[in-house]
Amino acid sequence: MRGEPPSTSLQLPPNTMSTPAQTPGSTPPVPHGVGNPSGTPVMAPTRSAHPKEGGSSSLGTFGVKSGLAQMLKGGVIMDVINAEQARIAEEAGACAVMALERVPADIRANGGVARMSDPHMIKEIVNAVTIPVMAKVRIGHFVEAQILQSVGIDYIDESEVLSPADDEHHINKHAFKIPFVCGARNLGEALRRISEGAAFIRTKGEAGTGNVVEAVRHQRAVMSEIRKASVMSEEELYAYAKDIQAPFHLLKETARLKRLPVVNFAAGGIATPADAALMMQLGCDGVFVGSGIFHSGDPAKRARAIVQAVTHYNNPKILAEISENLGPAMVGLTIDDNLKGGRLATRGW
Amino acid sequence: MQQTPARGDVTIGILALQGAFAEHQVMLQKLSLRKRMAIVLVRTQEDLARCDALIIPGGESTTIALLARLAGLLGPLRDFVKAKPVWGTCAGAILLAQTIEGAKKGGQELLSGVSVNITRNGWGSQVESFEAPLEVEGLRDSNRPFQGVFIRAPVVLSLCPSPDDPPIQIISRISTGLLPSSQTLVSPDEDDTDPRDPRTIVALRQGLHLLTTFHPELTKDDRFHEFFVKECVLPTLA
Repeated sequence: MRGEPPSTSLQLPPNTMSTPAQTPGSTPPVPHGVGNPSGTPVMAPTRSAHPKEGGSSSLGTFGVKSGLAQMLKGGVIMDVINAEQARIAEEAGACAVMALERVPADIRANGGVARMSDPHMIKEIVNAVTIPVMAKVRIGHFVEAQILQSVGIDYIDESEVLSPADDEHHINKHAFKIPFVCGARNLGEALRRISEGAAFIRTKGEAGTGNVVEAVRHQRAVMSEIRKASVMSEEELYAYAKDIQAPFHLLKETARLKRLPVVNFAAGGIATPADAALMMQLGCDGVFVGSGIFHSGDPAKRARAIVQAVTHYNNPKILAEISENLGPAMVGLTIDDNLKGGRLATRGW
Repeated sequence: MQQTPARGDVTIGILALQGAFAEHQVMLQKLSLRKRMAIVLVRTQEDLARCDALIIPGGESTTIALLARLAGLLGPLRDFVKAKPVWGTCAGAILLAQTIEGAKKGGQELLSGVSVNITRNGWGSQVESFEAPLEVEGLRDSNRPFQGVFIRAPVVLSLCPSPDDPPIQIISRISTGLLPSSQTLVSPDEDDTDPRDPRTIVALRQGLHLLTTFHPELTKDDRFHEFFVKECVLPTLA
């Protein structure tokens, strides 16, 4: 057992995710669907454990893990490198902060191996703000994850922005009480991460570039594959599961829901309120902003504008007002083979 | 989001600035009522003006309060709370409270509709988030426990109604034996049968308002939504 084992048997094993606990007279599943172009909420399953006879409580269920992600929807999660930036983010309306030593643009510029941040720095950020605090671990580095769980943060990002620690295996995320978010470029990758226990998915985009093109590509790929799967027969779904290397039961669930079965945020290259609203209109539930805020001319103002853009993503008049006079955005990079620091999105599989 | 719901006998708004508002929307859509119900996602003053009642969802209370202020909704929301039924879940409960502990540095804005003092994030961090079965008075089929989903949940520290306020009715308490063992707010040796201890209160009513520190919208159980509409909202329209 790698992580601290969950305290009770109520946590759902992965193979029951498609069949949430039934209660008498149960209503169908609960939606996520903030950023849903049609405007009607799209359903995703409820995974709260159903009441047991005799009654006991349970920590770290998939219900509370994915539930926290549901509470973050319609919000902006901002990268911060110290307590002072964390306070600026909180004041600007961030729904959570991501604590890290260097923002992706600096990781890209400086090179070298990027690792989990100093727990002392993370604790300072936890003490400085009242909103949830997330931190990154390297892909496959389950000991960094054990350390962060014991520090008492709220979410772990198993992130391609840091240097991978394992080139074959991701962390077994079911073994932890703390929830995980993971990046994905397409539906197969997203469902593989969920099958490992991720309670929250984000696009990978191309972190630290200020260029939204890759995030758009990944979100469009996921949505397009979901649309394809949603009209397939069961026989075709078996073949498609093999094609995209996804667990069949999760693919079937996704096809039925017509959306990912967990909350899905945009990340990687978002630099302006318009970028954030674009990702929301493409069907994301919320937005991560990394280097885009503290590498811009007026971080507090830009952060607040992006928060408003995610709420009012369908209202161009409000988007125009909040996009005014934000000062210079971060310098964007062209994503090609000469990209300094290379393509981070290709890390992980 | 532009939506034009059919005009109904009753219009329920869900504050849709940030958080889990879509979950509440789907729960309401599932209810079978004799009356026709329209649901409005509230993002502007015009949206709010159409509503007979309001649900404030879970999310981040600091974010929701800031977005409400930036959208010019804070004043209209405070007026709404004085006149019409409002239900706050989790972050919504924090916004409805009269006073709070654990506010962000420099304080944060509240709507102050219910006479309670609440602490944010009372049981600990996400690792202490938990689910527990609750006994709830007044729900349909109330012998069946309601699964309470507590996510970085707030805790009621004290009830502080002034003589002019409507009385507070406690709807559900959690047994201290079900609290996460790592939490430090209530020690396990304490007498959890003390009916005056407010910290075990997880659902209460005062006047028109309903307050829950957990998330009925994250379950498949629609009894709390039915309770709010039938017990808190419809009587005000008669």
